Amino acid sequence: MRRLRVFKSLVKDSLDTITHGSKKYHLWMAFLTFGMLVGMYCYSIQLEHGLSVTGMTDRVSWGLYISNFTFLVGVAAAAVMLVMPTYVLKDIDFKQAVLIGEGLAVSALIMCLAFVVADMGGPSVLWHMIPGIGVFNFPNSMLTWDVLVLNGYLFLNITIPFYILFRHYQGKEAKSRVYIPGALLSVFWAVAIHLVTAFLYQGLQARPFWNNALLGPRFLASAFAAGPALIILVLAIIRNFTEFKIQDKTIKKIAMVVTVAAQINLIMLISELFKEFYAPTHHSESAYYLFFGLHGKDALLPWIWTAIPLNVLATVLLTFHKLRNNFKVLFFCCFILFIAIWIEKGFGLIVPGFIPGPYGKIAEYTPTGIEIGVTLGIWALGAFVFTILAKTAIGIELGKLKYKKNS
Amino acid sequence: MKNNINMMNKIVCFSFFLLIFFSCKHHENEYHSITDKIEAESKNYQGTSISSEAHIGDLKTIEITEGEHTFLIPERKSQIKSYACTECHTKPLAQMQSKDFKKAHWDIKLDHANENTMNCVTCHNPDNMDHLKSLTGNTIDFNHSYNLCNQCHTKQFEDWKGGAHGKRIGGWAPPRASMTCVNCHNPHKPHFESRWPARFNTQKVKERE
Amino acid sequence: MSNNNKKWFSLNLGKKEHVSSSSCSCGKTSGGCGGTSKAHDMTDDEFAEAAIKASIGEERTKDGFEQVFDVKMDRRTAFKKLTASLLIGAGAVSTSCNVISGDESKEKAQIDWEEQFKGNYKLMTDEERQATVDRLVRSYQLRTGKTINMSSKNAEEDVLFGYAFNISKCQGYMDCVNACVEENNQDRNSEMQYIRIHEMKDGKGFNFNEADDNYYHEVPAEGHFYMGTQCFHCDNPPCVEVCPVQATWREDDGLVVVDYDWCVGCRYCMAACPYDGRRFNWSKPEVPEEAINKNQHYLGNRMRKKGVMEKCTFCVQRSRAGKNPACVEACPTGARIFGNLLDPNSTIRWVLENKKVFRLKEDLGTEPKFWYFMD
Repeated sequence: MRRLRVFKSLVKDSLDTITHGSKKYHLWMAFLTFGMLVGMYCYSIQLEHGLSVTGMTDRVSWGLYISNFTFLVGVAAAAVMLVMPTYVLKDIDFKQAVLIGEGLAVSALIMCLAFVVADMGGPSVLWHMIPGIGVFNFPNSMLTWDVLVLNGYLFLNITIPFYILFRHYQGKEAKSRVYIPGALLSVFWAVAIHLVTAFLYQGLQARPFWNNALLGPRFLASAFAAGPALIILVLAIIRNFTEFKIQDKTIKKIAMVVTVAAQINLIMLISELFKEFYAPTHHSESAYYLFFGLHGKDALLPWIWTAIPLNVLATVLLTFHKLRNNFKVLFFCCFILFIAIWIEKGFGLIVPGFIPGPYGKIAEYTPTGIEIGVTLGIWALGAFVFTILAKTAIGIELGKLKYKKNS
Repeated sequence: MKNNINMMNKIVCFSFFLLIFFSCKHHENEYHSITDKIEAESKNYQGTSISSEAHIGDLKTIEITEGEHTFLIPERKSQIKSYACTECHTKPLAQMQSKDFKKAHWDIKLDHANENTMNCVTCHNPDNMDHLKSLTGNTIDFNHSYNLCNQCHTKQFEDWKGGAHGKRIGGWAPPRASMTCVNCHNPHKPHFESRWPARFNTQKVKERE
Repeated sequence: MSNNNKKWFSLNLGKKEHVSSSSCSCGKTSGGCGGTSKAHDMTDDEFAEAAIKASIGEERTKDGFEQVFDVKMDRRTAFKKLTASLLIGAGAVSTSCNVISGDESKEKAQIDWEEQFKGNYKLMTDEERQATVDRLVRSYQLRTGKTINMSSKNAEEDVLFGYAFNISKCQGYMDCVNACVEENNQDRNSEMQYIRIHEMKDGKGFNFNEADDNYYHEVPAEGHFYMGTQCFHCDNPPCVEVCPVQATWREDDGLVVVDYDWCVGCRYCMAACPYDGRRFNWSKPEVPEEAINKNQHYLGNRMRKKGVMEKCTFCVQRSRAGKNPACVEACPTGARIFGNLLDPNSTIRWVLENKKVFRLKEDLGTEPKFWYFMD
């Protein structure tokens, strides 16, 4: 009973916090709301006319939505890079960053689910996937594995921070006995969500571009570069706009994680390129299409040739301690690395998998305005959710939000 | 604390093995390949209730047995408009080539092999127009005209008997009814004409622009 | 033409839920809720009828705004509807959940409701299969006044379908493609086709990269040969493995089929198919009413809706009745051979045993039941 009362008060307090803020905050939220509304409008058009309003065709049957989904799974998985040292290895430095990281994971997961739903041809019959009333093709379909791990991860990432914040809200310390098993589990889980998502593509013998053993590990490496890079940027913003203190040491430690992951990612990229271009086979055509174009079709060239230099530049800059410790350079590197990996693992991974088609036919893919609108709407949704979560969490951590027994 | 982690490890390991166990795909009746499967499963083939008799319909057929194959082919003689030929061809051919007679199939041009190999009387019997004749002069019934073709086209004949050449009539199910040579090939001009495709897909063009 | 949006049959069940939720919340099957009127799918005559009926609740599930401003309407229809709704006024709205609405509309609503929440066809009993087929036939009758013949015939014992394609015989006439589209009620707007005929250059081997599958010139072209592809009905189908809801499966007679009403439209099967055998309804499939093939099978050529997968079923509605698939029947050259692989005396077995046969991408282990051979 008491807990319920505390929870009620917490909800009330957090509603109070998120509806109050500076002018900049209100502008930001209004902007995001506008973005979501635009996305919803675009989605209503898509519902009305079917997926024909997107740029997808029978040739390239997955596009912008699934690209973003794949990338965001990586971002969500990256939260573990902060969870592990904080909860399990007891590294104090990460403690402040970890709540932000988990908030980021939650919003990334919500975006993932939104992208998957947006990509469905029949969202009204999605209940067919619910075990019990529908049919869940487990364990044969990797997609069902993905549904399981994503929802499980979402659950973990909501419950652990919620427990900690709930305790802090009442002015108590969180019991490590309670959250450490969960945190430990989420470490395995985070690797699982990304590996399973990679297996989603890796297990298709029909698509040689995806059907290689390096895909899973590369997913992990790129995720552990892009995710923490985003966390660094978010922390920098939070440091700027709130009183929430984040030490330089924390950011530097996360930067170290980004650097190592980016280096491994680059090594794997080189290995992949070597295999595709030193001894090219019939199966290398997708890679040729991606990097050089095939039969005069070269829609992806500008994208990938933006991504690769950015990726290399960021990795090289980050490798030098002096440059990495300079925050201006670090933030710049994180930004370009994030963009580079978004291209590489979104567009650069999904679209070439379908080109050329099973019988060598090339139909190029360009997202339509409606598709882009829905995508931006979902990103706005993610940012919105994250802002709400972060604002509440920061309020509690700073002690502004506190449970008052009398109220 | 240590106990906790130990417990956790156990749980994680256990669930991992559980996962591995459940992820094994169980297939019944697994064969090495589809051909093995076909071989094994057709050993005690009982036959099916499906018959294509109904789909053959009113088509008049005759049963033929060639080698180890027995099947139906369309009856031919009743389909020839002015059979029997001898109703007109009352005299030997040489006597009929005069101006007094009404011309019936004067416009047929033979476009089958070259002139050295074939002319009208390679197949038609000028002495008995109701029948065809083999190269050695034996009589061949119009209903069994494939025997005429298979004198030269032996390979096609083998394929036809087995079912690799020609079309089925009715359906896939037994009894088998197959078209005979002249149902698809005009014996006087046996090759297929070139023509335009039945369909063109404009959407596909747009997609691949 | 005002009736150009009515010539089409469109069983758009997916849309229903959104509409019905906005109309009334009772959710009962008997009270006339949960369904939707097919305002824009009616013929002219039916519309006139409907306008009169509206006062007793025919148009009950769409609100006035939707009725009038429905995007599918042209001006004349819109004007008619506007007039009708002005005449009938608020009457239609007030009777929107009325129990005295016509028997037919009640029945329609009930069918729609049951169809929306039915189970997976694969897991249904024979009675349930018959029931859903009966509902679909009745629904079509209620909507168009015409009767279709839909079968739910199961796979026969001792039958395993196989297909052989004679590369040296195919002349590229595409009669098979034509027959397939007409037989299987494929979307005419997006020109969906299950069969592709690849025009290959002589002396280049089976080089699909240089092949053209959308030629339009006199055929057979000099120095080319033709090779057809479609769904190969793999015995170990990767598309079936990946489906998260088991909306596609391999039947006992070897056909790989889709339950269009169970498919959620994730297109994972499309990505998993190495043979380009699957097609997606990116928009609402439309077939002119007079061109609809009314001899249907639940798993075969019945009408589809937008957002679901479909594919070649070896014309299940024909093949389970003993007929050849439409493509086999239409082929003027006899390049296509179809039959029962388990029957040792079948022609397909003779081909497999006596000709030099091969399959595409055999290395993938998918075990297609579609063989190619040459004379």
